[in-house]
Amino acid sequence: METPGSFSAADRGNVLPTVASGGAGARGGIWEFEIVGRIWRFFTSVRLALVLILILTAAVLVGTLLDQIPPSVLSDPSAHAQWLERAKTKYGFWTDVLDFSGMFNVFHGLWFRVIIGLLTVNIIVCTLNRWKGIWATVFPPRVRMSDTFFQHARYNATFAAPMTLPVAAERVKRSLRRSRYRVRTEGNDDSVAIYADRNRFSRFGTFLAHLSIVMILAGTVVGGMWGFSDSEFVVAEGATRALGLGTNISVGLEHFTDEYYLEGPPKDFRSEIVIYEGGKEVKRGTTRVNSPVKYKGIRFHQSFFGQAAVMEVKDAAGTELFSAAVPLAWETREGSRPIGSFDLPDQGLTAYVIGPRSGENDPLVPAGEMRVEVYRRDGGALVTADNLSQGTAKQVAELDFTFARESRFTGLRVVKDPGTNIIWVASALMVIGLVMLFYFPHRRLWALCKRRPDGSAEVRLGMTAQRDMSLESEFGRLRQRVASALRGTKGGRTSAQGDDDV
Amino acid sequence: MYELSQYAFVAAFAALAAALLLYLVNVLGARGLQVLSVSGGGSVSMPAFGPILDTAGRYGTILTVNAFAFLTASLVFRAIAAGHGPFSNMYEFSLAFSWGALGLFLYFQAQYKLRTLALMVLPVALGLLAYATTVPSDITPLVPALQNDLLLTVHVAVAIIAYGAFAIAFGAAVLFLIQRRDSIRWLPKKVLLDEIGYKAVMVGFPMMALVIILGALWADIAWGTYWSWDPKETASLVTWLLYGAYLHARVLRGWRGERSAALLILGFGATLFTYYGNLFFGGLHSYG
Repeated sequence: METPGSFSAADRGNVLPTVASGGAGARGGIWEFEIVGRIWRFFTSVRLALVLILILTAAVLVGTLLDQIPPSVLSDPSAHAQWLERAKTKYGFWTDVLDFSGMFNVFHGLWFRVIIGLLTVNIIVCTLNRWKGIWATVFPPRVRMSDTFFQHARYNATFAAPMTLPVAAERVKRSLRRSRYRVRTEGNDDSVAIYADRNRFSRFGTFLAHLSIVMILAGTVVGGMWGFSDSEFVVAEGATRALGLGTNISVGLEHFTDEYYLEGPPKDFRSEIVIYEGGKEVKRGTTRVNSPVKYKGIRFHQSFFGQAAVMEVKDAAGTELFSAAVPLAWETREGSRPIGSFDLPDQGLTAYVIGPRSGENDPLVPAGEMRVEVYRRDGGALVTADNLSQGTAKQVAELDFTFARESRFTGLRVVKDPGTNIIWVASALMVIGLVMLFYFPHRRLWALCKRRPDGSAEVRLGMTAQRDMSLESEFGRLRQRVASALRGTKGGRTSAQGDDDV
Repeated sequence: MYELSQYAFVAAFAALAAALLLYLVNVLGARGLQVLSVSGGGSVSMPAFGPILDTAGRYGTILTVNAFAFLTASLVFRAIAAGHGPFSNMYEFSLAFSWGALGLFLYFQAQYKLRTLALMVLPVALGLLAYATTVPSDITPLVPALQNDLLLTVHVAVAIIAYGAFAIAFGAAVLFLIQRRDSIRWLPKKVLLDEIGYKAVMVGFPMMALVIILGALWADIAWGTYWSWDPKETASLVTWLLYGAYLHARVLRGWRGERSAALLILGFGATLFTYYGNLFFGGLHSYG
């Protein structure tokens, strides 16, 4: 059933690269090549891909069913320990086992990456392994096939045509062309061989699709190496903050707005921001969900928002030490109150501002007040703590603290990711490749027209089996077209042999 | 417009239920005839029943076409009433999914003249509509993350085609497993069921890739990150990989038969999980 140019041999993993079969005379000795060959064979296995995908499926199931530790907690050992304590109430004895085996951190864990890495190598090796075989089915097709080919072809038909050989061959070609097949012929006085195919580049779609997967993974690497992101860049109304991350950029928030529908759900979140580079204003714009502000490849996405407190601090002489809105963008570990902080570097102090717990009567911080806790910057000892009511100055740690008014902050996600362009190009290739492969499948047919002793012609058609699907209906259609083109013939003997390639 | 949409929904539901009933009469009646003619040794001939069963099947198809039309009308009216594509909450998703499954079913039925497939696909479509009656059908305004008309429409529309195709593949796979050694005459031949399953995946697989890509593109625009291992994202990727595994096993290893049918059923399980998973796991995708 195998025909020259059929690609089955390559698919079975028999085609090794020259390095693996190079063998005896090579410098590294046969043993080393044996190893390379084995590794190569290991990765040519489609079964390996299946196993890896099934493991990934299981991992994903675990990752969605079990609580996952957020990356920010993971990088902080004490927060990590606290997270595990809380998890113990849910998972009890299993907590430590699950944590040790990485089940609380599936998607960023080592073994998940190892599986993705193996799958990538698997894809690359399998693709390389198939290249030769697929190339052979497309270029150059063998036009003339032997009689035995037609006898054994999975789908074959024979017609007696009451016309001369050139006329018969011409009619066969015409009917194939009308079925949108591309036709090639090789003729002599006694016979005309015809090769016809359709969508011959279809199978290259498989390379586009697989290449795109590798490109996407490359895109993530590029993004990881040359990009940066801050998912919690917080700036209060009226304030300006340096972005950091190796840039000379700072971002100011003029105004944050949140709007709601009458029914209650949110309608719009938007921040009017100003971008400065080297202290000079370079861009001003409104960032909202679904339309980020962009500057020099850096995107500023609206992500979250919250309450801020405008604080003023003066020393005994009345000199202003601090006056700005402090975003209360974090939460206290005990009591879940909104908290933010600012530094008084000359005094060597850090002040934490704590707002009232929302939605209930908070005994520690009554509504309309702010609690200030002042710590030493070195050592972190608590100097003093007190509650401030709005608008009244109060002496805390020998300084005058005022909670002037409430304000708001916006939380932006700031991203630079040069890898995304690669990813979108790869995605386009992926879709083009898959559409080529599945919506425009490659089809091949051979025909042989022979002169008979009485001057009439005999026409044979043959199509080889395809492993993935039956070509019965396609062949039936072509056979009928050819039969009616050779009108005057009696249908012809045809046969489609039974399933034998499963 | 909202009322019109609701009426059309009820009409679609009723038509679909009646269609399923008629298909059942058609297929099971044929089975009954087969049993009777075997047990009666051919002496009891019931020539009157054959045409009746055939008529039932034909009306089943006509009703399915009607249900599809009503469902289309319901979605269109709803889109007009809401001012955006009807793809923003679970009620709308479920109608759209059902619409996709019906549309693909009608396409495959036209291609293969195969009524039996209805026995598997119509219950799925009907189940989705029944589910829709249990969730609030109010028109909800678009939350900020969804305010991207082009992507909302294309992303979900493509998803519907993909999911609909996978529903067809599922139907064919189940029938394939029921049909042992072609011994059941009222079911299509295994070869045909196998081919339908494969063709459906050939339609659905590239579409699913496009769904994931458009989702990633949208996430990148709205949230500044194209991938965050959100449950819905991840589940859709796994679904796609499962169908990818099916295709590879088939093209490279010649897998047909029980194993690949089982993969198709597993794939549809993953599809449903992708579709409804956010109800159980929250995540970025938890709208509605």
